[in-house]
Amino acid sequence: MSPVSAVGTASVASEHPLRRALRSGRVAVGGSILLVLLFCAVAAPLIAPYDPNEQDLLNALKGPFWTDTAAPGFLLGTDNLGRDTLSRLIYGTRVALFVAVCAAVGTMLFGTALALLAGYFGGVVDWLISRAVDLWMSFPPVVLSLILIVGFGVGIGNVILAIILVDWTRFCRVVRSEVLVIRRQNYVDAARLSGFSHLRTMLREVLPAAAPLIITLMSLEMGIAVIVEAILSFVGMSVEASIPAWGVMIADARNYMYQSAWGLILPILAIVTTVLAFNLLGDGLRRTFDARLQQH
Amino acid sequence: MSGEILGIVLRRIAVAIPLMLLVSILVFVVLRLIPADPVAMSVPPNATNEDIEALRREMGLHLPIMHQYAIWLGHILQGDLGKSIAFGQPVFTLIGQSLPATIELAVFGALFATAIGLPGGILLFRLRGRPSEQVVDVGSTLMMSIPEFLWALFLILVFGVAFNLLPFAGRLPPDMTISKVTGFLLLDCLLTGNLTAFLEAIRHMLLPALALALGTVPLIMRLLRSSLLDVIGEDYVTMARLRGVPERRVINRHALRNALLPTLSLMGVQFGFLFGGTLLVEVIYSYPGLGNLMVEAVRNTDLPIIQGAALVFALAVLTINLVVDVVYIVVNPKLRRAR
Amino acid sequence: MSLLALNDVTVTTEAGGRQVDVLRDVSLAVGRGELVGVVGESGAGKSMVGRLIAGMLPKSFAASGGSVTFRDRDLLAMPPRERTGLLGDAIAFVPQHPMTSLNPVLSLGAQFDEHLKRLGQDGKAARRERALAALDSVHLPRPADLLGRFPHQLSGGQCQRALIAMAFAGKPDLIIADEPTTALDVITQARVMELIDELQRDSETGLLFITHDLRLAAGHCQRIAVMYAGEIVETGPAAALLGDPLHPYTRSLVAANPGIDGPVRRLAALPDHMPGLSGFADLPGCRFAPRCPVRDEVCATARSPLTEVAPGRFVRSGGACRQVKTGATEQAALTAVTLDSAADPILSVDGLGKTFRSGRDWLGRRRAPVVAVDGVSLDIAPGEFVGLVGESGSGKSTVARLLLGLETPDDGRIVVDGQDITGPFQRTAKQRIALIQMIFQDPQSALNPRQRIGRLVTQSMEVRRPPASWPERLERARDLLGQTGLPEDTIGRYPVQVSGGQRQRVNIARALCTAPRVLVADEIVSGLDVSVQAQILNLLLDMRARMHISMLFISHDLSVVRYLCNRVAIMNRGRIVEQGPTEEVFRAPQHDYTKALLAAVP
Repeated sequence: MSPVSAVGTASVASEHPLRRALRSGRVAVGGSILLVLLFCAVAAPLIAPYDPNEQDLLNALKGPFWTDTAAPGFLLGTDNLGRDTLSRLIYGTRVALFVAVCAAVGTMLFGTALALLAGYFGGVVDWLISRAVDLWMSFPPVVLSLILIVGFGVGIGNVILAIILVDWTRFCRVVRSEVLVIRRQNYVDAARLSGFSHLRTMLREVLPAAAPLIITLMSLEMGIAVIVEAILSFVGMSVEASIPAWGVMIADARNYMYQSAWGLILPILAIVTTVLAFNLLGDGLRRTFDARLQQH
Repeated sequence: MSGEILGIVLRRIAVAIPLMLLVSILVFVVLRLIPADPVAMSVPPNATNEDIEALRREMGLHLPIMHQYAIWLGHILQGDLGKSIAFGQPVFTLIGQSLPATIELAVFGALFATAIGLPGGILLFRLRGRPSEQVVDVGSTLMMSIPEFLWALFLILVFGVAFNLLPFAGRLPPDMTISKVTGFLLLDCLLTGNLTAFLEAIRHMLLPALALALGTVPLIMRLLRSSLLDVIGEDYVTMARLRGVPERRVINRHALRNALLPTLSLMGVQFGFLFGGTLLVEVIYSYPGLGNLMVEAVRNTDLPIIQGAALVFALAVLTINLVVDVVYIVVNPKLRRAR
Repeated sequence: MSLLALNDVTVTTEAGGRQVDVLRDVSLAVGRGELVGVVGESGAGKSMVGRLIAGMLPKSFAASGGSVTFRDRDLLAMPPRERTGLLGDAIAFVPQHPMTSLNPVLSLGAQFDEHLKRLGQDGKAARRERALAALDSVHLPRPADLLGRFPHQLSGGQCQRALIAMAFAGKPDLIIADEPTTALDVITQARVMELIDELQRDSETGLLFITHDLRLAAGHCQRIAVMYAGEIVETGPAAALLGDPLHPYTRSLVAANPGIDGPVRRLAALPDHMPGLSGFADLPGCRFAPRCPVRDEVCATARSPLTEVAPGRFVRSGGACRQVKTGATEQAALTAVTLDSAADPILSVDGLGKTFRSGRDWLGRRRAPVVAVDGVSLDIAPGEFVGLVGESGSGKSTVARLLLGLETPDDGRIVVDGQDITGPFQRTAKQRIALIQMIFQDPQSALNPRQRIGRLVTQSMEVRRPPASWPERLERARDLLGQTGLPEDTIGRYPVQVSGGQRQRVNIARALCTAPRVLVADEIVSGLDVSVQAQILNLLLDMRARMHISMLFISHDLSVVRYLCNRVAIMNRGRIVEQGPTEEVFRAPQHDYTKALLAAVP
């Protein structure tokens, strides 16, 4: 009995969703931060002032330029081995973003595929997949990723694999319940009656309806992947020691926080900013899609 | 009524048993993937090939994997989780010593999370439609972006290093000892009548528990807010207003009671995650709990401890879920059958 | 002096960047002990009247003129606190959706207790006594037992009775009932209306009955006000208004309503549909003018007041239009369809059965198996429309899903055009798609909102072997849109960009794409307003005449079935209890259930 007329909804539907999304402040801010980070990751060798592993023991544990303990040439100070913090932060974006993107795509593909099967077919398929999710959810994610890394060994590929194997349940659970809702829409039955195969129905009718949710979840998952990678590198179970990662920087700096708190604060800020950007993006996208759905 | 609930609880436990078995298979199989040879780690460097082969047989590694699993499971069921490679002590004892600390920490974390999250959610809801909502909203997104291990470091920097207000290492000052009765420190302090130690223990617990809680708070806040927003549009809320029920009562009696149900069921999952969060928080606060034990074991590739700790973590999560489910069933009349 | 009087009330909001009068100059009076009906299609503003009186207008809606006098005080000028104080006490409400209008986590007793406490009744025991008496007064058996129950343990009818008991508990001066029976089944609906009549008769309470159903209102109310696009177009005594409607809109409303008795005449359907909120701003004059069959030049700009044309009868009309008689008298009688009785049935269903054994709920409790369809046998001749009538849960929708292969039957055989298509969908898909198609109930849900209409209606060509080219599909789409009376430019639109009635046409067009012999239509007009419903019903009749198509028409609405179908089957609890030629069954029902259904029609 909504008095809102069809005329009002028409204009909303005809506007391209991407343009609407960009008008949201959250998407704009989150997206801009991510673009900057992406630039840092790609252009790291060009913009970083030093090699991230170059040691200068005479200039160890220096503060950033605005502190008393600053050393000329090291804009954001150095760590206990005299390595340049700024350069290590810049190189750190490489690991963070690489893991974020690969892991999010992986979890999305794996989780969504299983969710589609479970939600669409129901019955035994759904039962099996749901029990697998239950099994996985019996572990706290951190514990499971640690076990997996112990099993696989360290290295960036294994970290990504571990995140995918841990977090697919997040996707699977949420997307499955969305698919269950979509499945009840008559247009899915109508497609079957038009002679669509199950696969075609899933890809043409069900998946596009779940796409907004999937995109939103992916954005959030990237943030989670950044955190998990940081946790693993914090306990020394992520990338090889020669690759600079934010979690490693935190672990190193923790032992010297009385001498140089900034060495700890800066990588923390880097992680929080990155995750915040992904969350803002995801949040903004969700709001845009929700608004569209409400209009319908 | 209570008979029905008991039945449901028993059925839940019955479901949890095969799940726990699968968990043990998962743990066992994954840790067999390990690239390092567990035999090579536990023999002296000068051991001969014959020695290694003998040990391999002794450890049962020549048997098929399912057979190995069966032996392992048999030992577990007898309370034998093996011996730590690094410490040489039974894993069961090690876990028994560290688990109470973790449980205490997690319980306090969960209490803090509830105490902050639920009022926070109501506050968020009350601000709906006002300009300040946007500010609080972005604030909660920021909070969502900070996982508990960064909160842990952050709280240390602020309350420990910068202002030196609260301790952030261990469970008690180094010069203080409490004789062990139950293993639960707070309980033991009270049992031995040592009030100073009790207060100290609380002070030591504040920061790590708060760090754990802050990782969960924004999720609880947001969920309660959105549940309230859903519920406020329901017919029974409108109908209550149309009966002249005052707005305060409409929110507190009619809306909140219904909105708490989905929040409660999510909190089960979240408290499971929170329990996992103790892992890093304990490492950062040098807190002698299960998480610290496990991370130490991971660094040493101390397989028996990793296996044992992983199983205990899973058991804890299943228990938390069970408890939350039972509470949910008890408070939700919708699940009672039509008579 | 009336108990409640709305005097020239105007409610304004902003839509599409313009000020819009959602209600315009609404005047309405309810006396003590009087039952007044407000009738209108969805979006006419009738619910807004209820919200206005409750003081719960949606955000950004505000009364901008007129007064609402209740017991000689203007509600609009009353302090909010005092106004809230009237609710539930002096002014009570009966809601549209009884099942969801009781708080699911509180027992019925707790909700009664809260209400009676608010009404000032002291003492828990005394409140319990009153609650028991109230439940008894609405003829609910075992009231003491009911007080301990939760809403999900009650049926819709029981919930509504309990809510009515609550409404009458405070002996209010006025009750506002907004579509109180719409969510209920036909028989329950009739009983609840009887109950409202009975309670109201015994009290001094004035009752404002808001409904979309003119016939229902006429059957129970003393006076009726008809609303269109935010205006009252006509008010008068119920019998006079229904028997001799004066305003062109009222006349067409009567003419668009298929009756349950009397000769079956072709429905006179209004063109188009009522404008949405933002469209109101473009109608400075008579808001009905664009659809009015007897409009003249001045109608678009001139507003006429509600004038008294006979004692108690008010019409908003400049005079010209109410003189011109159109409608009922000019409606042509429908010619009976001649069926070739010797021909083999196009659809033959024999002993169809389906039981749902849906495992356990999430608590692991075993659910009882549900026998949804039990030994249903049915034949449909070529060109025949058969009505399948039943209440919700009778299994009629399951029959549809079984026929289409969306569920696989446990027993029985389905034969279409001599081909057995009983097996699971995968194996029989090819035959089914060409032979039998379905029109779904809710076009909103049946049309993928992400696809354009041209693509939607030719969906089945997408998987045709050999594949259809895009020009071929466009050609077919144009053809289908033409057959269903849709303008050609809808081809490139999305479903949300067309009106509800047009969406239902798109839905029908898609079902026609494979040129099936049999259509199964599941409640396809139940969500539509009367004027749009008439358009769709007439379209179906035209299709039958043109294409000689057969249809199983599933509905709960007996008058619609009578209008459309040659034969009817009555379904109850999974079984067909009676079937036969429509007129025969309606004139002389044999089964008790059929009798009850027919007796319940307003």
